[in-house]
Amino acid sequence: MSRQEGGCVTKRLQNELLQLLSSATQSISAFPVDDNDLTYWVGYITGPQGTPYSGLKFKISLNFPENYPFHPPKIKFVSPMWHPNVDKSGNICLDILKEKWSAVYNVETILLSLQSLLGEPNNKSPLNAVAAELWDTNMVEYRKKLLACYEEIGDY
Amino acid sequence: MDHQITTASDFRTTSIPNLYQLDTLLRCHICKDFLKVPVLTPCGHTFCSLCIRTHLNNQPNCPLCLYEFRESLLRSEFLVNEIIQCYTDVRSSLLNALKIQKPITTPGNNKGRNPQDSSLIELTSESENESSNAADDDLQIVATSERKPAKRSMTDILPLSSKPSKRNFAMFRSERIKRKSKSNDQMAQCPICQQFYPLKSLEKTHLDECLTLQSLGKKPNVSPNFIQDSKTQGKETPRLKSQTPEVDRSHSDKTSHVDKYLNSMISAEHQRLPKINFTSMTQSQIKQKLSSLGLSTNGTRQNMIRRYNHYEMIWNSNFCDSLDPVDEAELKRQLLSWDVSHNKTSQNNSTNGGISKLMMMKSIGKSSSYRVLLENFKNDKFNRKGWIIMFRKDFARLIKEAKSKIRTGSPKGSDLAGLINNEDDSREVQSCEGTRRQQMGEEQGTTNKERRGSNEANLPNEDLTDADLSRELMDMNEDGKDPPGND
Repeated sequence: MSRQEGGCVTKRLQNELLQLLSSATQSISAFPVDDNDLTYWVGYITGPQGTPYSGLKFKISLNFPENYPFHPPKIKFVSPMWHPNVDKSGNICLDILKEKWSAVYNVETILLSLQSLLGEPNNKSPLNAVAAELWDTNMVEYRKKLLACYEEIGDY
Repeated sequence: MDHQITTASDFRTTSIPNLYQLDTLLRCHICKDFLKVPVLTPCGHTFCSLCIRTHLNNQPNCPLCLYEFRESLLRSEFLVNEIIQCYTDVRSSLLNALKIQKPITTPGNNKGRNPQDSSLIELTSESENESSNAADDDLQIVATSERKPAKRSMTDILPLSSKPSKRNFAMFRSERIKRKSKSNDQMAQCPICQQFYPLKSLEKTHLDECLTLQSLGKKPNVSPNFIQDSKTQGKETPRLKSQTPEVDRSHSDKTSHVDKYLNSMISAEHQRLPKINFTSMTQSQIKQKLSSLGLSTNGTRQNMIRRYNHYEMIWNSNFCDSLDPVDEAELKRQLLSWDVSHNKTSQNNSTNGGISKLMMMKSIGKSSSYRVLLENFKNDKFNRKGWIIMFRKDFARLIKEAKSKIRTGSPKGSDLAGLINNEDDSREVQSCEGTRRQQMGEEQGTTNKERRGSNEANLPNEDLTDADLSRELMDMNEDGKDPPGND
């Protein structure tokens, strides 16, 4: 019965880390920032092919609450982001990170859904209305805006 | 209680990579670890009892399919429980046995190995098929070993080596071998299946395999060529058949999980705790409810509600799902440590709460709460009062010792001088406090009131300065009279 809440978060995160390291997904990666604190990770996702984001690499911060996985981690884009569902400070509007969160999701699924969010924004409830409008009307301009604010943030 | 972190992908590098699916399936999707006290949801998914109950406290649905249901519909899965225990028991040896090794052959054997030898094996195995005990499995294994140079192939191939082993494994050697011809010198008897194997392969692979198979409850596979070997060399086969005691042991190993499963039942001794709708209850009603269960009533209303909910969860998980439930005191201990780490506001709380917590600590019993205290000894969750209560006797003894030394040091007259002379003794008392204080940094939540409270227990409070302490010591010495030099 030694599995008590306290160890639960750390253990689960250790497990996820091991899993993430052993599954060779090229386009996403994540790692704890500090060896002693498993609750703060930094991750990278690469924009999917065939979207304005293809070839770009984005840095993401993941903050795991004490009651993870029963509550979602706090996730933000550290890289400047131009996207209908991401605001200027990197906050993300994604249902699975809020009310649709489920305890079975993990870092890998989060990063993968973020990746697909890049290609399929939800333009019905945009945080960045300009981006949402451009996405629907002028893709060339959209890409231009994106590249203007994009800057690559290197490794750790 | 193995806390090693493992992943299913460990199996991807073995000769049966598909086992990773099995490994994955036996894990809880919430904690990603092997299912612990698995329970079945009405929608057919399985989770650890504690995981799903914690989840249901947040939202009333299945985290996998979002089917809504109530916690009372969870059912314990005895079978899955035993399967997982059985599996985790053998997992590491399974991994070991299936690990793909680089072919290690004796140099002489190595050269001609690939084309001829393997075909030879196939031939022998086929020709042996009817006469040997070997099941079809063995044939398959031999067949696969040709394609992949897996571990097994080594076992199969090695007997063809004629190189005598230089090492002497007296342990594994039976007298039978000695009686045999010189070609048998390199053979040794496996202590588990009593089969004869070439020493090298016995040492390298067979023992592992045999152990694994045994714990899996299977009869060790006898590679056809070994049988052939033994047949040509002597009358080994009859002996093989008579060798059953070891197999029997493995059988009983296997059935322990089976027996456990067959005898599984939930004791009806403890009733499940109900979910309580606290919204309509007054603060005092909640307190009443908590104290009727012997729980602490300190903290805010929210703290108490959370405390009850957590207790309800671990209680139900323990008594409704678990096959070997812990007793109530252990549950309370778990609740206490959860309280300390997760229900924070209740920590620095009113004296009222403090007292009921102390009562609770006492009721839990010394050994278990000592562990809790010790766990938090070096961080700021440390429960000072509990610690003081627990070591009240030791502290009292130290004080007594210190006092007696003061008396002997200065029979009458200035106690102050005595104190100074016996500085070391009082330091002894202080040092246990002092180290605590150092390690703790500081914990300033204590009010003067609380200080009084612990003084009632005749204890030196650790917040006291050295001067305070000596004053207090003298206080006691003077039996309540004003100590000298205390202006």
